[in-house]
Amino acid sequence: MDRTAWVLNETELRAWLQDLIAGERTVVAPVAEDGVVVYRPLAAAGQAVLEPRGKARWSPKEFLFPRTEALYSYSFKGDAVAITDPPRPERPQVLFGVRSCDAAGLARLDEIFLSGRTDPLYAARREATTVVTAGCAAADPECFCTAVGGSPVGEEAADLQLVPLDGGWLLRVLSGKGEALVGEAAAGWSAPPAESGERVAALEREVAAQIGRNPVPQEWAKVLEGGFASPSWDRLAAHCLGCSICAYVCPSCSCFDMNHEANAWCGEQCRSWDACTFVPFTLHASGHNPRATRGGRYRQRVLHKFAFTAEGEAHFRCVGCGRCVALCPAGLDISQIVTAAAAAIQEEGADAAR
Amino acid sequence: MSDLQTSAVRHAGAAAVPDGWQPQIVALVCNWCTYTGADMAGTTRLEYPATVRMVRFPCTGRMSPLMILRAFEQGADGVLVSGCHPGDCHYVQGNLVARRRFTIFRSLMDFLGIDLRRLHFAWVSAAEGHKWARVVKDVSAAVTAAGPLPRPPAADGWEGPALPAAEGDGPEEISAADAEALRDHLRRTAAELLESGRAGVVIGHRRGSLPGRLVPVMAATAAECRELEWGEGALNNLVTYAATALQRAEKAALVVKACELHALTGLIREGQVARERLLLVGLQCPGVRPEGALAAKCLGCSGAPHPACDLLLTPAGVSEGGSGAAAPAADTDDARDRQIAAIESLPAGERWLYWQRQFARCLRCYACRAVCPLCYCSTCVADKHRPQWVPTTIDARGNGVWNVVRAMHLAGRCTGCDECARVCPADIRLDLINRKLALEVERHFGAAGLEPGEKAALVDFRMEDPEEFIL
Repeated sequence: MDRTAWVLNETELRAWLQDLIAGERTVVAPVAEDGVVVYRPLAAAGQAVLEPRGKARWSPKEFLFPRTEALYSYSFKGDAVAITDPPRPERPQVLFGVRSCDAAGLARLDEIFLSGRTDPLYAARREATTVVTAGCAAADPECFCTAVGGSPVGEEAADLQLVPLDGGWLLRVLSGKGEALVGEAAAGWSAPPAESGERVAALEREVAAQIGRNPVPQEWAKVLEGGFASPSWDRLAAHCLGCSICAYVCPSCSCFDMNHEANAWCGEQCRSWDACTFVPFTLHASGHNPRATRGGRYRQRVLHKFAFTAEGEAHFRCVGCGRCVALCPAGLDISQIVTAAAAAIQEEGADAAR
Repeated sequence: MSDLQTSAVRHAGAAAVPDGWQPQIVALVCNWCTYTGADMAGTTRLEYPATVRMVRFPCTGRMSPLMILRAFEQGADGVLVSGCHPGDCHYVQGNLVARRRFTIFRSLMDFLGIDLRRLHFAWVSAAEGHKWARVVKDVSAAVTAAGPLPRPPAADGWEGPALPAAEGDGPEEISAADAEALRDHLRRTAAELLESGRAGVVIGHRRGSLPGRLVPVMAATAAECRELEWGEGALNNLVTYAATALQRAEKAALVVKACELHALTGLIREGQVARERLLLVGLQCPGVRPEGALAAKCLGCSGAPHPACDLLLTPAGVSEGGSGAAAPAADTDDARDRQIAAIESLPAGERWLYWQRQFARCLRCYACRAVCPLCYCSTCVADKHRPQWVPTTIDARGNGVWNVVRAMHLAGRCTGCDECARVCPADIRLDLINRKLALEVERHFGAAGLEPGEKAALVDFRMEDPEEFIL
């Protein structure tokens, strides 16, 4: 695809954003609410937090895979049951100023919800969504996108990409959807300097150098899966407290629970987020829990991020945003735990071979 | 029009109250007194508004705030709770314990911005048919005046109140040399405890992967003891790990700040931990800095180790403690109280918006529950699903119920370590809710001390407990 690009100053960027808000699309961007930066539909361009670094408290996945959504609703009238489908989510939306790691997370969600049996609600939202990423000019201490195959200026799942350069933004078109979103707005924008491609590459190297974590080799997927029965999981997860911050702030976690919210007259079948670190996640109706230990539950999380993949997937499901590292109440660091688990498993293997 | 409604109209453009509208009121009544009293009203042919739907319970003591919340959540405009007069309980004291619970629940609802005209309590005996009819009339009038329960108004773009900054001096600074001495004492003491067999595991802090952040560790080897750290990044309340550590070893040493000791007292009081299996290591604390700034709980604290600890570590050295004498509470204002007062000064409608916006962010990750040293139930009520009391939906239905239930379960028990607020990814001010309830409990039922023999306020009662809000 022909790559088209411009350079926008802050005023031009906000003006374009304001035009988008005035249009037919819902524009979602990071917004400061009670001091927390979270993704919210914008009422005005000035609300958007567009900085060269830093990220929202959690990923924007809820705009494609809501925390809770009704799959159908029902009501009883006498002996009759009326079942209603939820409205198809068709309103076009723009996810604006999304970090590359978050966009990569959307690509991981696509693999779950769009491959094989397509999830119609997710698919409708995804179809109506245009993603405008904002690359990073600096890494935060918890960031490790480059260690899991990502990049601070990664292009995955992005329709348009903003890259912070010299106090302004380089805007690049990466897809047809992105091109459509820009439309006529580009008329007054300046062309980028000739060396902008090199500048982006330099920025990528600079940010990557700030990330002090070693790359996770792809072959560890097999190592970790082979170490399913390793005793090291219990040790590594010893301090896990069993909440689900890690899963709920994660850009790629996609597990959910089904529940009826109902009374005597009507109800809804709801799909709500759920997490493998919770005890009831795998609890059987019989009372048996196949993942009865903290270590077993945390192993599931690590393996689902770094090992279990469907055929044809070449990525880790961890995108290295580091939110789970920054927010874990017990200070667990998944990148360190993966390294420690792989080392322990390889050592156990070596011991067994001896 | 109530504050709540004015606010709802302003923020959500709600429709006006339809003509001839009648409220729907859920009445939770006890089987022995009020239900029979209502029956008496019927057989006496008394007339009263057909606005109440009764749910019969064995006792007001069985009525959990959850049930009141579910009534509101399912659309009730008002809730009336009624049972036997004090002294008449079929189960002797069920209504007396319930009275305390309702006192605190009502304060919480008020703090969260619920119009109290929607929530009523009454004592109606089996002989008081006339009183029942009058109570229903009065409650109907109050709920009618309050109007239909507003849908949660959208707080988009609302600026929110400016809370006063939490101010205070906090503990004395510990110099770099002293900090090093303190850390060395800690490492040596921990190693000695393991070696001498006085403890099989030492629960402490070690360096984490993020700059300045210490993380919990259950150290069981000399090498792990050499990695122990102490300082402003020692955020976690390690009392949370006491039960886990005691599964691994007969005796555990626990590094505690003075503010964490109360939580341990709570666990001992509730029979969760045996004091004699724990060895408490109290360290002089520089205060903790969760996000750079000194935590609010530290602002009125001296940082001195609590004398009830078995070992006291200061830069000067290690001394045996265990005096057991509770230190007099520092006579300084709690930095959180000014913020609570600021919220209380808002009109109810704005309090509602303030809390609803925070609850709307709640992800239901239950990190608040996971870090809480006093949340130890083997199965949390939020995880029980037969029946499902707390909706699993991560929206207004489930989030409001969860946050209120969490606060109620900790009322009279929370010891103000603020761990829940520290870890909350949505920055919900759980610390202010907990602190508000602690103040209410203290105001109505007296302060809880460090005595393990005392009962928690909300499982206790006095005949003369205040009840001016009860009809």
